[in-house]
Formats: sequence, C-alpha cells, structure tokens
Amino acid sequence: MTSFLARLRPFCFPLAALLLFEFYARRAAAGSDAIAPPSAALLAFGRAALDGSLLQATWFTLASAALGLAIGGVLGVLLGIALGLSKRAARWSNLAVEVLRPVPSVALIPLAMLVFGFGLRMEFSVVAFASFWPMLVLTQAAVAQVEPRLLEVSHVLGLSATQRCFKIVLPAIVPRLFVALRLGVAVALVVAVTVEIAANPNGMGYAMMIAQQSLDPALMLAWLGWIGVVGYVINAAALALQRRVARRMGTLP
Amino acid sequence: MSVPFLSFDRVAIHLGGREILSPTSFDVARGEFVCIVGPSGCGKTTLLRAASGLVAASGGAVRRNGVVVSQPSREVAFVFQDYGRALLPWRTVEGNVSLALEAAALSADQRPPRIADVLAKVGLTKHAHKFPVQLSGGMQQRAQIARCLAQKPELLMMDEPFGALDALTRQGLQDELARLVRDDGLTVLFVTHDLEEAIYLGDRVIALQANPGPGRTSLAKMIDVKIPRPRDQLSTKEHPAFLTLRRELFAFIEQGHD
Repeated sequence: MTSFLARLRPFCFPLAALLLFEFYARRAAAGSDAIAPPSAALLAFGRAALDGSLLQATWFTLASAALGLAIGGVLGVLLGIALGLSKRAARWSNLAVEVLRPVPSVALIPLAMLVFGFGLRMEFSVVAFASFWPMLVLTQAAVAQVEPRLLEVSHVLGLSATQRCFKIVLPAIVPRLFVALRLGVAVALVVAVTVEIAANPNGMGYAMMIAQQSLDPALMLAWLGWIGVVGYVINAAALALQRRVARRMGTLP
Repeated sequence: MSVPFLSFDRVAIHLGGREILSPTSFDVARGEFVCIVGPSGCGKTTLLRAASGLVAASGGAVRRNGVVVSQPSREVAFVFQDYGRALLPWRTVEGNVSLALEAAALSADQRPPRIADVLAKVGLTKHAHKFPVQLSGGMQQRAQIARCLAQKPELLMMDEPFGALDALTRQGLQDELARLVRDDGLTVLFVTHDLEEAIYLGDRVIALQANPGPGRTSLAKMIDVKIPRPRDQLSTKEHPAFLTLRRELFAFIEQGHD
C-alpha cells in the first residue's frame, strides 16, 4: 500500500499544476485565443487521435527524426572513431569541424528546401546535419579516452586494425556512445519539430502551427503536450536500452 | 657459433629527450627464466617493452632468433602489471582468453578446447563465465596469464605481474608460474621489485642501475641462481645459496641507493 502511494508521488506536482491551470484558464482567461483549459486540450487530443491525424503526424516526425539520426549518427560515429584513433587526421580536420559545427542547423533549411523540396528527405537531411556534430565530437572524445593499456594489449596479441576497431575500441566506447545517442535523440526530435514549424508542411510541428493559425488553442496545447510525452517516452526507451546493454556487457551488475 | 635465442645488443632507449636505458647488452638462452630487478626509474619496464616491440630502441637492437625486433609478435606474450586495465571488462574470462585466439584467426569451433585447456592450467575453469569485476585480483591476473598462454608463445614477458597482490596470493602464483613455465618449456623475462621473488623464480637475476652516467651501461650486476628445481616456498628460501644471493643482492641495491 505504501509502495503504491510512493509510486504516485511524482505525479502529485504535475497534477496540481494541471488543476491550477485548468482553474485559471476557465476563470481568468475564458474565451482567450492563446490559452485553453487542459480538459479542452485533452478533448482536442482525443479528436486528433480518432481522425488519424495524430498518428500520421507523429509517424512522420518520428520517422524523419529517426532516419536523420541514423544517418548523422552512423557518419558521426565512424568519423569520430577515425579522428579519435588518428591524431594526424584530427589535426587536419580540426579547422573544418570547428567552422561547420557552429552553423545552426535551422540555417540549413533554405538550402535543404532548394535541394530536396518539401517532404521527408529535406527534413531528415537537416536532422542528420544537426545530430552529426554531437555524435562526432562525443565519439571522438570517447575514443581518445579508451584505456591505452587495452590498445597495447591488442598490439601484443596481434589484432588486425579491423579487429582492434570492432573488438576493442567500439565496445570500449559503448557507454559513452549511449550518452551521445541520448543527446542525439533529443537534438533530432527538437530539430525535426523545428523544421516542421519553420518550413515543412508535415508532422507534429506543422500540425501545431496549423492549430495556432486557426485560433484553436486547445488543439495547439494538445500537440504541445503530446510532443512532450513523445520526447519523454523516447528518452526513457533510450535509457532502458542503455541499462540493458550495460548489463549485457558486464559493466553493471 | 649459434645465434642466441634473445639478445640485447647495446640497447639504449631515449624517451622525451631523457635517457631511460643506457646501452645494455646480454643474451637469454631458450628456456631460461631471467629476472630483472633494480630501483624505480632504472628502465626495467622499458627494457621489457623494447624486447617485445612495444617501444623502439633508440640505439642498438634487440634480436630474437637473430631477427631484429621491431614490432610485437604473437610468439611473444606480455603480462601487464595492471591486470584490471589489461582485461576487457565487457568480456568474461573465457571471452578474454578467446581474444588471443581470435587475433590468431582460429575458427570458432577450434577455440573452446584451447580455452578450456589454458583455463584448467591456471585453475579458472569454474570461473570461465565470470566478468573480470567479479573476480579477485589474483584471479584477474590468472586470467591475463591464461590469455597469454593461449597465444602459445615461446617467450613470456612479465612486468611486475604479482606486484599488486597480497603476499599469500603472490606465493601461490609464483609456484604456479614456475610449474607452467617448466611444463611448457617457456622462456621468461620477469621484471620485479622484489629481490626474493627474483631469486626464487629466476635462473639468472639481472640488476639494473638508474642514471649510470654518460658512456656507462645500465646493467649493474648479473648473478646465476644455482638453486635446484623444483623449488618451494619454505625449503628454497632457507637454502644456503638463496640466503647468500639474497644478502649479495640486498647489499648491492642498498649501495646503489647512496
């Protein structure tokens, strides 16, 4: 019984805040074009879920975020390993990386629109660009921190370069790679929604924009809340995966 | 004249502009157990790393079977002191041993018998499926030794392998090592701080000195240990020859510190 109550404890504050907001929206801001009570947002959410627009938009945003993250992540990890292992390559690429990295990913939207037009490709290319950098930098740092003794062991045992990469370096950086991945997931989702708000007429960001422009604050808030929930679930899933892998690899009991 | 198994020919090593090892020459015969002692900073470990090709000699050359050693070879195994960092934490004992066989490109069905064989030799059969963090220091070092034996090396380099272990574990492992080396006919280069350990294990003890001065060698003393084998912790350490050598080496090291 107490454990059940203890499990409810984290929900107390959000529930209280929602109730307060509900009260405020009904009394003080009734008829507002900017604020709707949470109950109305919930109803709007139910309607969006029933007419299929929720699923369709969520699917589009997640697919482009995942695709972009996969492309940017794989390229970032591969290049990060190469730059982490070779001091010379790191020196040579340093300037290029430091010039390109600070370019805001949303600044690429016009270019991506010219090249790909509207749609999935344009969105995931911007997401790939945005998630490439944290993956690259974090992977490079992780490789640089691989226990030097293990690399010596691989030399003494006579492992080939490919074996060294897959049997020593890659497993050694897995824990740090997961930190990078969780950061990458967050970046990918933020950028995907941003691209939809700014340009791409698809997905959750665009749906939220449409709700705002048609003066439907309930639906807009419904989307806002839903994006938060989706982000939370994805992060929790990444965390669970990280724990599972850590346990499999013997680094967690 | 036959070629010595391992020869150090005026080997000198400079690292970062400092002379770590001054020109040192000696030969090691096949099947010999050579211990290297000396104060900290005398280049013991560096000598061992040069002999296994992990560090390049700045002057002179290390030759194995007459061929200059320039890079690590699968015939030479290296046991590091810090077993905790030399084992792959994400692989079990079995998996760590397997790494040596994977490096030698042994097919997957040939590995298990070899792994079982070396684990039995070091007494880790029951712990094959444990991860390094689940093992004591002594067992982790056994796992590293097992991985080295799986290489089927002809030369075993050991860099203070028992330095971080408690006295009882160390004695147990010394005896096991002596037995393994005798059974497999290995040649061993063994670096240690512990003079008694050096005499107890070695056929020969080589003492190095730190900063010998310009134009001089790091090699300070070379003594043959003519104590019969098999040796054991009690009677060997009471053997008159053991006590004499111990006195000789201790006096020498004491003097070197002045």
